[in-house]
Amino acid sequence: MKKLIITLIAACGLAGTANAQMPQDAIYMSKRTACVALMYGSSSWNTYWEHHLKRENLNIGTHTTQSLSLMGTVGISNRLNLIVNVPYIKTSTSAGNLLGQQGFQDVSGWLKYKAFNRNGFSIHGLIGASLPMSKYVPDFMPMSIGMQCRTASGRLLVSYKHPKSGAYVTTHGTLTWRSNISVDRDAYKAGDKVYNTNQVNVPNTFDVAARIGVLRKTWQTEVWAEHGSCLSGDYIARNDMPFPTNNMMSTAVGWYGKYQPHHFGINARVGHVVSGMNAGQSTSYMVGLLYLFNW
Amino acid sequence: MKLKFNYIIAVGLFTLAAGLYSCDKTITEPQRVGYTPANVDDKAGSWKTYILASPTEVSVAAPASVSSAEYLTELAALKQASASLTQEQQEAVVYWGAGAVYRWNEIARELAARYNIPPASNADGKYPVPDANNPLADPKFPFANPPYTARALAYLSVAQYDALVSAWSYKYKFKRQAPSKTDATIRVALPVSSIPTYPSEDAVVAAASFTILKAMFPGEVPFLEAKYNEHKQSRLWAGMNVGSDITAGNDLGLAVAAKVMGRARTDGMSAANNQTVTSGMIETAKAMGLSEVWLSQESPARPPMLPNYGAVQTWNFDKAALVKLRPGPPPALNSTEYQQNIDELKSIQKNQTREQARIANYWADGAGSYTPPGHWHRTAANASHEARYSEVRMARTLALVGTTLQDAGISCWDVKYYYYYPRPQQFGLKTSVGLPNFPSYTSGHSTFSGAASAVLGYIFPDRAAEFSTQANEASVSRIYGLIHYRFDCEVGLKVGKNVGQYAIDRGKADGSGL
Repeated sequence: MKKLIITLIAACGLAGTANAQMPQDAIYMSKRTACVALMYGSSSWNTYWEHHLKRENLNIGTHTTQSLSLMGTVGISNRLNLIVNVPYIKTSTSAGNLLGQQGFQDVSGWLKYKAFNRNGFSIHGLIGASLPMSKYVPDFMPMSIGMQCRTASGRLLVSYKHPKSGAYVTTHGTLTWRSNISVDRDAYKAGDKVYNTNQVNVPNTFDVAARIGVLRKTWQTEVWAEHGSCLSGDYIARNDMPFPTNNMMSTAVGWYGKYQPHHFGINARVGHVVSGMNAGQSTSYMVGLLYLFNW
Repeated sequence: MKLKFNYIIAVGLFTLAAGLYSCDKTITEPQRVGYTPANVDDKAGSWKTYILASPTEVSVAAPASVSSAEYLTELAALKQASASLTQEQQEAVVYWGAGAVYRWNEIARELAARYNIPPASNADGKYPVPDANNPLADPKFPFANPPYTARALAYLSVAQYDALVSAWSYKYKFKRQAPSKTDATIRVALPVSSIPTYPSEDAVVAAASFTILKAMFPGEVPFLEAKYNEHKQSRLWAGMNVGSDITAGNDLGLAVAAKVMGRARTDGMSAANNQTVTSGMIETAKAMGLSEVWLSQESPARPPMLPNYGAVQTWNFDKAALVKLRPGPPPALNSTEYQQNIDELKSIQKNQTREQARIANYWADGAGSYTPPGHWHRTAANASHEARYSEVRMARTLALVGTTLQDAGISCWDVKYYYYYPRPQQFGLKTSVGLPNFPSYTSGHSTFSGAASAVLGYIFPDRAAEFSTQANEASVSRIYGLIHYRFDCEVGLKVGKNVGQYAIDRGKADGSGL
């Protein structure tokens, strides 16, 4: 038992391998350790980009998406981690009469593999996938909690960490394939065309990000910039509502931090969208409770 | 161990990469192809027209005989035009070959969907009115809401029908057979029927449809012109019509549609958005005992949609019948009946099932869609296609359905503004489909659906139960979407069926024997 606890502490932080739960860092859980995170997040916007036009909408006021996520990271080996996330989502508006939606959204999983690691420089390959967990309505936007896509992602992540100071810089790029979806209606307009089917083509996406921070035995602090965009898609017509076929794009900046002295830890994240297209200018925050164990 | 993991990752990445590039995301839609009509309707030239005083009000010159030198020259030109087609020409032939009336109805629905977006408010909190003389400015003209779309599609269908009845009368007068029957070496790309080809029904429909739609969607003239020209050309590429078939059909279609547009200019639509009438309407409703009148729930408050549309000219009955169609009043807002109805909505809001949401979404036909009238036109066009109707019989179906849909809209708008009854949202309800900006009683969806399903049930008796079920579902969908009380829907559906009866009576007396 004593040995177990020592191993656990060593893995979780004190030995310098502070873990995280995220598929966007270069940090790994050691073999036979796992970390569970319960995270609450809230993201709000009161302006959005209708194609390129930045506007407010008095019939929405402030749109808020709240989420409660349970995330687990398992060290399959010292260089292969499995990350699984289950989110419950709830949407609401401060004005107008659109009915808020809530439910379990999409379960997602990532396999993260450290392919190369020398003198603080490391290269990682990640593959991810997600599946809808409930039959939520995907095209009652912006109130829908998700888009009902099945997704598959490939990500390349490159990181350098100064061995002594713990200062690091990380960058990554991702391609995500998104499946077509079915909607409740059997005809819809996308672009200028009416499609006489219930099948909707949802564009694939890519994202890139850069992170600079310091990772120490018990804590981590980081500033980040992320850009995500669809690879194709149409746009929100003048005064129209969004639709899953839209080419959504946003660039956000923010901060992430974590403190985990022992088994228990906390993490937090704030972000703000600085530019976008067919998307809300959201400000978001997240706080999480972490617990680490091994076997 | 390391090797094994490398192997797993390599395989994983490869699978993913393969998945990314091989997963076909092409959307497949049901394809419609051409057919030989089940019945050529050789007597359709005497069917009763809507606007034309008689099927021969517009005259068509007798064609050259099939043995004339002039015709032989045309045949030679046709042979050349249809001998070898580019990919694009082949696609055009197949597209238009599905049916002239069918395709133009589909095009009109697509335009309705593109233009069915409410204008945005400006910086002063006002809603600019779309301007027909500047159709592509913001806001675009028209705002193709349900009443507007019902009218546009009604005129389209009536123009197609009158022009085709006229065309049929000349076809069977002159009896010039299809070019490929005179010269068997002409390559035809579509099924050839025994229907005489002078004047061309395709050219008739293309010209009539183009004339109506460019008036209804003035910002789309280049788009429509390209369709119009391609449609006519496609008949030459397909080896189906010689040039004089097309020219005669084109001239006939233009002339008939011009007469139909004469009615459109004086039917009262230009005064449908007269907002000054609302104060009198509100007074009337209050005098009848309504304690709280309808108020726009939008911010800033939006003027109600087309408050004077109830005064627009109807197709299948007169003003006296319109008043007679008006149902009794809705329950008083302080009555037990009202309380039960709003309680039902509150309970659905709390526990809306996925099936209720599905029904509400399926029939929503809200902003950015071709509206409920478009939905029923689609049903009517598909049913006619599946029954292999001739062009003229399909046009008759769509004219009966199209006119009853506009009649239903006029009747429903008359009722809505007569009673000026508040929406459930005025008392705290939300919506899962979006809230239309006009009074609650009665439901437009229900009235449209009651009328269209009744007429379709008359035309396709074997499918009457199916259309009736669809209408009931469309009606109740507005309760599930939380924007209508049950009495709005039940009364609307009933009035709609009564509206439909007038079109059925017309259909029974139009000389078709159908």
